[in-house]
Amino acid sequence: MISDKLKKVILTTLNLDDYNITEEMTADQVPGWDSLSHLNVITAVEKEFGIRFKTLELLKLKNIGELQQIINQKLGTNN
Amino acid sequence: MINQSIWHHWEQLAKDKANSEAIIHWVSGEEPFRWNFSDLINRANYYSSLLLSKGIKPGEVCAIIIRHNPEFYPLYLGVVGMGALPAVLAYPNPRLHPEKFRQGLLGMTQKSGLDWVLTEKELHHLFGNIVKAEGSTIKDIIFPIEENISIDNNKYSSQLKKIRVSFNPDDPVLLQHSSGTTGLQKPVILTHYDILKHVEQYGEALELNENDKFVSWTPLYHDMGLIGTFHLPLAFGIPTVQINTFEWILAPGILFEAISKEKTTITLKPNFAFNLLTNKVKDEDMEGIDLSSMRLFINAAEPIRHDTMERFIKRFKKYGLNELAPTTQYGMAETTLAVVQTPPGKKYKILEVDRQKLANGVVEIANENTKVKRVCVSSGVLLKECEMKIVDDNRNPLPELTLGEIAVKSASQFKGYRNYPEKTAKVIDSEGWYYTSDYGFIFENELYVIGRKDDIIIVAGNNIYPEDIEDAVNQVEGVQKGRVIAFGEINEELGTEVISVIAETKIENEDEKKKLIIEIKKAGMSIDIPITNVYLVPPRWLIKSSAGKPSRKANSQRILELKNMKG
Repeated sequence: MISDKLKKVILTTLNLDDYNITEEMTADQVPGWDSLSHLNVITAVEKEFGIRFKTLELLKLKNIGELQQIINQKLGTNN
Repeated sequence: MINQSIWHHWEQLAKDKANSEAIIHWVSGEEPFRWNFSDLINRANYYSSLLLSKGIKPGEVCAIIIRHNPEFYPLYLGVVGMGALPAVLAYPNPRLHPEKFRQGLLGMTQKSGLDWVLTEKELHHLFGNIVKAEGSTIKDIIFPIEENISIDNNKYSSQLKKIRVSFNPDDPVLLQHSSGTTGLQKPVILTHYDILKHVEQYGEALELNENDKFVSWTPLYHDMGLIGTFHLPLAFGIPTVQINTFEWILAPGILFEAISKEKTTITLKPNFAFNLLTNKVKDEDMEGIDLSSMRLFINAAEPIRHDTMERFIKRFKKYGLNELAPTTQYGMAETTLAVVQTPPGKKYKILEVDRQKLANGVVEIANENTKVKRVCVSSGVLLKECEMKIVDDNRNPLPELTLGEIAVKSASQFKGYRNYPEKTAKVIDSEGWYYTSDYGFIFENELYVIGRKDDIIIVAGNNIYPEDIEDAVNQVEGVQKGRVIAFGEINEELGTEVISVIAETKIENEDEKKKLIIEIKKAGMSIDIPITNVYLVPPRWLIKSSAGKPSRKANSQRILELKNMKG
């Protein structure tokens, strides 16, 4: 499940007021999440959660659910 | 070299430099795939035979739509080697609706006359029934890199020999499209001579030598990627490291990793890429990275910003970056690639001018009384056998330090757009001058590019027509039909333009307006054009031009003034 915190970071970075974000969604399905804004989203996630992604982790991400999973792993949480 | 075909030139390189590296196909986290000249040409021969066996004939156009794959390169060479014309097209972004992709491709077949599509099986579903669609010129869709058939070499080698003997330096060799959006691409034809002549011209300007090694992430459907980082090193007989564009945009630091590991010396990229590297590559990603092998980081394909270059130098100096390596260039697909370039080892020139006067078309060098200054960056000096001039609206030459349209002439200039005689006639005059639609001025033999004469928006080096965006947004329910304009808005952080839209709507409810903004952004997504800013305005807000349509210039100025007032 996508946490409220991750959803908020994504929406704030993309300047969206509200949008339904699900685990299966890919970046290209979210308005404004394009190649130029992608790294802004990643940087905002890193800052908000106090974590750092490795290059290969970023390249292997298939959808937003996987982004949530990596965040959970780095934080040592399951939610 | 320029009096032969490009194929024969490659064959000669395969003999002279058989075991030298030609192409290093870079994939993050894996060992790169390395083509030497001999293996590359052998494999290209296989593809030439394969394509002949499929019924492709010399002179036909083969669109190549293939993602980052080591087989792409010999396939491309193989198309040239059997006398057909490769046209590298962008593979569709997942956000592009398949129907829109087909419409764009169909429009292109009708204008460019594409005969065959060479692609991957995984992309097959995107093409639907395009071969049978009305007006389609496409004969078939082929999956050459996934074919696993044995080819009778004897059968095709004599046929290939006959074809290749007839190659003439003035024959068309490839087709490249001058801009990136659907429907309006202009197909530029280049000959064997154009490519090899340009290698000579630009090779000299860059002082290319045997020790050079290119590295690039720029896509091969863009002239900078195809000519600058693929044809140029290949024809010069030096290696090029090819990085996956999609991987680079997700993790820009892989460019530095490739530079450091492969000890490359030259790269070309648009202004936004310098910003992205400066802003997004972290110190921890730079551990062990050494940039000292690089002698040229060439900035081209969109307006060059001085602060971008200075911040890049400051950020990466401690990793061995030579302060004179970041340099500038200007050119276009119509001149094969470059027209001017700052000479290697020299700092690119800048000129401070009065910003307000420049906005009114006057170039005045800044002095102590100038209130607001703009730093203009020179794109460099002319390559050999190139000319340039600045002209007024009637194409009369203008003196130095006067803003006007840039016209150029080059020994490796295209002869015209394929199947577009009327467009060709508009941009090339009887003396061979090509009118670029770019605005700029000349000072002390250096060219300063300022902007566009038309409304084209340049996002990260890609040309986007506002008409495409306006057509898509006009379909959105809630938007007043025909009451939309799209324009480029400079984003300082990204170092490039982003797309903004002003749309009239009768909707007044704030929640409904938020929904409409999302729908407008989705309309952009459906044609693979990211809309960053949406400004909703009430009916009759947009100012009309003299032609009766909403004026892009007047309305974009009005909205930006309002935005600045609000802070």
